[in-house]
Amino acid sequence: MANRTIPRLLQTPAVLLLLFWMIVPLAMTLFYSFIRYVLNSTVRPEWTTPSWSNWRGFGNYEFVMNSKDFILAIKNSLFIVGSILTLTVVLGVMIAVLINRSFPGRGVVRVLLISPFFVMPAVNAVLWINMLLDPVLGLQGIAISAINDMAAGMQDAPLVGWFFNLWPVLEPISFRATQTSAIAVIMMVTWQWTPFAVLIFMTSLQSEDQQQKEAAVLDGASRWSQFRFLTLPHLGRPMAIVVMIQAIFHLSLYAEIEIVSRGNGNKNLPYLIGEFTNNNIGAASATGIFAVILANIVAIFLLRAVGKTLME
Amino acid sequence: MAIVAKTSRFSKIAWPTLAWVVALIFFFPIFYMILTSFKTDADAVKAEHVFFFTPTLENYANMSDNYDYWRFATNSVITSVFATLFALIVGVPCAYAMAFNPSRGTKDILMWMLSTKMLPAAAVLYPMTFLTKNVFNVFDTHFLVIFVLCLINLPIVVWMLFTYFKDIPKDIIEAGKMDGLTTWGEVKEILIPLAWGGIVSTALLTFIFCWNEAYWTVRLTTIDAATLSKLIEGNRAPEGLFFGRLSAVSTAAVGPIIVLGWFCQKQLVSGLTFGAVK
Repeated sequence: MANRTIPRLLQTPAVLLLLFWMIVPLAMTLFYSFIRYVLNSTVRPEWTTPSWSNWRGFGNYEFVMNSKDFILAIKNSLFIVGSILTLTVVLGVMIAVLINRSFPGRGVVRVLLISPFFVMPAVNAVLWINMLLDPVLGLQGIAISAINDMAAGMQDAPLVGWFFNLWPVLEPISFRATQTSAIAVIMMVTWQWTPFAVLIFMTSLQSEDQQQKEAAVLDGASRWSQFRFLTLPHLGRPMAIVVMIQAIFHLSLYAEIEIVSRGNGNKNLPYLIGEFTNNNIGAASATGIFAVILANIVAIFLLRAVGKTLME
Repeated sequence: MAIVAKTSRFSKIAWPTLAWVVALIFFFPIFYMILTSFKTDADAVKAEHVFFFTPTLENYANMSDNYDYWRFATNSVITSVFATLFALIVGVPCAYAMAFNPSRGTKDILMWMLSTKMLPAAAVLYPMTFLTKNVFNVFDTHFLVIFVLCLINLPIVVWMLFTYFKDIPKDIIEAGKMDGLTTWGEVKEILIPLAWGGIVSTALLTFIFCWNEAYWTVRLTTIDAATLSKLIEGNRAPEGLFFGRLSAVSTAAVGPIIVLGWFCQKQLVSGLTFGAVK
């Protein structure tokens, strides 16, 4: 039994640290979610300190579920996460198949492609919303006004002038409005995470059964049916992993939402929790518990998939 | 289907070209950021200077005056380095024990560790703020940032190291035992030399994750321990006046990490998929 003690001792610090990290704040959140707890209240000063006597039962949960912002935040979270997942998986598979061959400069292509993944989220958001997407001063605004100027200049030109007279004046899109800022967030996160999907799919493509492929070629299978019936099924598992890992990361998307859409209606759950935290801790905690439940639904599937390969 | 075979010369040129075009499109935002960082703030928003301009280094020279860049960068370096170091100090023994003396509970512990990573940070925002501000009095300190960064990355560290250690043949360790090595001797003489590559790439990847972390570093700091994420987040809406200098500080914040990232692409896959994709 002595040789069991040392391994246990070695694991203890990590386990204890994570246990503390997980249990203490979460237990507090759970407690706060069942009591009335606000930071500022002149009418009911007793609510400003957490205590069992302020018990509210499921009141905070009801309050949160009936608030317009909560429904909006859930819908918005799902819209953003769903769009990002679809785009990154589709683009990821296409690009991985595209570069899964040898051609000149493949190493450089890989390096260029993977780079966006290492950009810190804050820089990603600031770069896209200002330098690239700003409707006046960003690249979008500059490009659109340049196209408009060019079209206007060509209207008097002989032969092709009529064509540019019909050309509509383009309007730049402001990405700081409620709906468009969700799209801006989707764009920037897709840009950042498609490389991740590409990397995973490429790793997986390299373990594809080449003999099977050669047999398919000999049988006269087209490129498309090779892809459809061999490659795509082979990528099934990595796709599931990419979807689940991204779902967990993007459900707690924060910096991008905060930077792009501060002050407008484009909220997700973490952002809503941040707003509630300014005063209504009870509501913030209840929302937090909802977020935990949502994340757990995804996590269960992911853990099951990961667990299968763990001990082989 | 025969079309594919016939056009093989076409596809020999077309597909690689397309691959290059896609890669350049993906890199373009970074390129544009770097380009803008060499423009004056006035040039940065002018159509005629999108690609043609007189490059200037003033944005980089003025980074300290404009943004106090080096202070935030120092904080980022200190917190990321020490968080990585502590995560390894706690993680290496744990992964070692799990890989070489697995018990029935090992798998469950690993899965449970992973599940802590999946907890949405925002759910515990207020308790963390409260505990750090009012109970432990560590809000906005390096210690706190290091502690938090270490903990949120610990599961990934243990997992990555575990997958590396698992692949080391057990016979070698057994042979070491025969030769009378102690546990510490095993670690020093056999494990570390064999797993060095794995430990280094785990460290690099953890460092990158720490550097880019943007929830706790933003919410649990104000000035003293604020990292680059906080700096950039605080300058989120420059209204187009400072695109040049903002690009410079952004480039400086992500440049070293992108280069570092190029060297650990492979480890990224195992690190982020927890060994589930090979």
